[in-house]
Amino acid sequence: MTVQDFVQAGQWVFLAYFVGINVGYLLQNVIAAHGIRRYLQTADQSEAESVFSALDIPISIVVPAYNESVSIISSVKAMLQLEYPQFELVVVNDGSTDDTLERLIDGFGLQTFPEAYRARVPCKPVVSVYRSTLVPNLRVVDKVNGGSKADASNAGINACRYPLVCVVDADSIMQPDSLRRIVRPFLEDATTVAVGGTVRISNGCVVRRGFLEKVGLPTNFLALVQVVEYLRAFLFGRMSWSSMNGLLIISGAFGLFHKETLIEVGGYNPEAVGEDMELVLRLHRKMKEKRKPYRIAFVPDPVCWTDAPENLRDLRGQRIRWQHGLGQAFALNRSLMTNPRGGAVTWIAIPFYVIFELFGPILEVAGYVFILLCALMGWLAWPEAMIFFALAVGLGMLLSTSAIMLEEMSFHMYPRFGQLLALYGVAIIENIGYRQLTSFWRLRGLFRWLLGRKHAWQTITRSKNLAGGTTSVIMPAPAKPPAPGSSSAESGEAPRQDES
Amino acid sequence: MDWLYRYDFDTLTLIAVWCLAGVLVTTVVLFFYAIGLRTATLIRNRRRGAFIRRWREVFAMAVINHDAAAALPLPVVHRHDETDLLEEWNRVRSLVDGKAIDNLIVLARRTAIRKIAVRKLHHGRLSSRILAVHTLGHLRDEGFRDEFLELVDHPHTVLSITAAEALIEIDPALAGSTIVPMLARRRDWPRDRVSVLLRRAGSERISEPVYRAIRSATDADKAYLLQFTRLVEPEVLDALVSDLLRENNDPAVLNAALKLVNGFSGVPRIAALLRHDVWFVRMQAAKVLGRVGQQEHLSLLLELVSDPEWWVRYRAAQSIASLPFLGPNRLRQIRAEQADPYASDILGQAYAEVGIA
Repeated sequence: MTVQDFVQAGQWVFLAYFVGINVGYLLQNVIAAHGIRRYLQTADQSEAESVFSALDIPISIVVPAYNESVSIISSVKAMLQLEYPQFELVVVNDGSTDDTLERLIDGFGLQTFPEAYRARVPCKPVVSVYRSTLVPNLRVVDKVNGGSKADASNAGINACRYPLVCVVDADSIMQPDSLRRIVRPFLEDATTVAVGGTVRISNGCVVRRGFLEKVGLPTNFLALVQVVEYLRAFLFGRMSWSSMNGLLIISGAFGLFHKETLIEVGGYNPEAVGEDMELVLRLHRKMKEKRKPYRIAFVPDPVCWTDAPENLRDLRGQRIRWQHGLGQAFALNRSLMTNPRGGAVTWIAIPFYVIFELFGPILEVAGYVFILLCALMGWLAWPEAMIFFALAVGLGMLLSTSAIMLEEMSFHMYPRFGQLLALYGVAIIENIGYRQLTSFWRLRGLFRWLLGRKHAWQTITRSKNLAGGTTSVIMPAPAKPPAPGSSSAESGEAPRQDES
Repeated sequence: MDWLYRYDFDTLTLIAVWCLAGVLVTTVVLFFYAIGLRTATLIRNRRRGAFIRRWREVFAMAVINHDAAAALPLPVVHRHDETDLLEEWNRVRSLVDGKAIDNLIVLARRTAIRKIAVRKLHHGRLSSRILAVHTLGHLRDEGFRDEFLELVDHPHTVLSITAAEALIEIDPALAGSTIVPMLARRRDWPRDRVSVLLRRAGSERISEPVYRAIRSATDADKAYLLQFTRLVEPEVLDALVSDLLRENNDPAVLNAALKLVNGFSGVPRIAALLRHDVWFVRMQAAKVLGRVGQQEHLSLLLELVSDPEWWVRYRAAQSIASLPFLGPNRLRQIRAEQADPYASDILGQAYAEVGIA
């Protein structure tokens, strides 16, 4: 093979990748637009007669908390005010080294309670269970630190009493009607096992007493870019996968699960770096192995707001972690990739994710290096290269623009003209610099997984609206050996015969 | 390696140029479309606000005064206001009761509401048709009974349930003869809306049909239909639950029936149900005894606090703690007598929940 052959072959590979990813995204866009339109039509009508009734399914909300001393009281108070007829809040103090537990004890009049706790999904030992003397539907599980959000979530799941479990981040800002919206797929389809909702960026919003008071856009450039990224990821990414029952991820910041099914598949994997995606993949795998009909749904309504990293260090850590988690989640559930009865998950969603999301960064970064090399060697046909570069930027802009338009057609959360223009501005600028940087970080995450490195958790800096710019550790390094796919001996024989 | 050179890149570059042009044009069109959409929304919201404010005053006067409903001067309705008018009238109509409904119907007959709804029903998009069915139902328009009877079989969930609701408005007796027999095969209908619909029809109209539908249903359908029985008359419910517990062996049906036991005229086969093979039947039976248990059931419940299934132990312990003939000392004594640590733990939790240390 001559150098010329190599260059020519490289061009074809990059072109195929370029066409594949963009056609894929554009198709997703069309499917999502159709799905959102249909969803909004039915949502409007069902809301016309929406009533709370005895048929609403009670929900247990699990809130894992590690060193959340600054915001825990306001977060819990806000969650207790959610609009839903019957729910309980199970806060899990994952061995915090600050005064998270003491604040909860003081704030809600907690008293130890002799709960006959049963460990149906694996987690570190529980030290004590507290019950609030002020709020009847609040309990706090104090446990030994398990080194991961997954381990803390599992302890909460073990303590839950209701048939549906909603796992949220302690710093998630929930819409007051989020539970009512996200429970809809469970009411409409009895085979629903999990539901995700749209997560939005809270940076730039006004948050008071744990509730979102006013929607705004961040002034920080990185956070602003992530607003557009989240619109793309949720409004057309997840919406389109969901419409073919091929949703592979439910954000860890907010997800609703059928408890017995969650326990049946073994709960969260404490060793998983991306425990939210790993769980959804495992749900698909196990349900398909058991040949049970099931649905993993998505509601496009903005149900939860979360803080986005505002500096390069935090953003880099997040993207490396996400990519590492993506690779690990696929590896742990690799049998799903070859399941002949895997349906859209096996034959459409996973190939797309593996080629374009998991290994995509290799080709993207290689493409940049390739162009640079060709330029240095004088092999680059500049006019043609500029045309393809402009096309890449143009397609990026088109995808962002259509995501913004979907938002405009549906929920229009950003009501001012200036906000709309800012989003469009970012949709152009992000293609130069930001996109290349995230590709490079994703590549690092991919190698981290391929080389089998342990993921080191880091500290993140919160935006001002959440914690006055404080720094908090999101989770220390995992300390427990993996328990993938382990299921409890006590898992229900008939998952749908729940307590209510 | 010849295949690498089969296509020349000049052609591809040309395609790329055209694609780029297409992408840029589409992006610009989408951008201006979004801006236009935003502008249109702002203008529409402003106009809509003023329109609704005017009509709200009219509706408010009509609700409290029949003469006003019949004689009030009415604001002009343009074509682009029609949907807003229908939505607002339906909103107000859903909020009121009794004589006020008649007044609103009188007012609606004076406006073009019926005419608009009929046009939307026959020529509109799906969302318009749903709004039209909703409106004509609220108008109690007898002339659409047959059309709605066809629409309840429509495959679209929202359209069909809205037609069912409209039928109940027009003739509540249709709930028993038409809607109840359909419930088992229309599982796509949201359960909250079905329960509201049945409640509107009235327990006296639906009790017998629900009883008959459940008695003749398959076991799978029985369990589904039983969730709507909270809306039937108590004596019918008692008879139904009693029959099912006596005759049926399907765990899902037993589970659903046990949830509905509310009085103690004797729970058939209670001892057998407490020892049933399926844990959730044992759990529900234990829970029932918490509400209606008597002295002779204590020993049965005590067996269950050592059950291998946590929920069964938990419900049995809660039932023991709530038995009215057991005082705190006797309860403590019962716990102390347990050799099984699981039984003791679960009794400890159940006692703590009711404040017994």
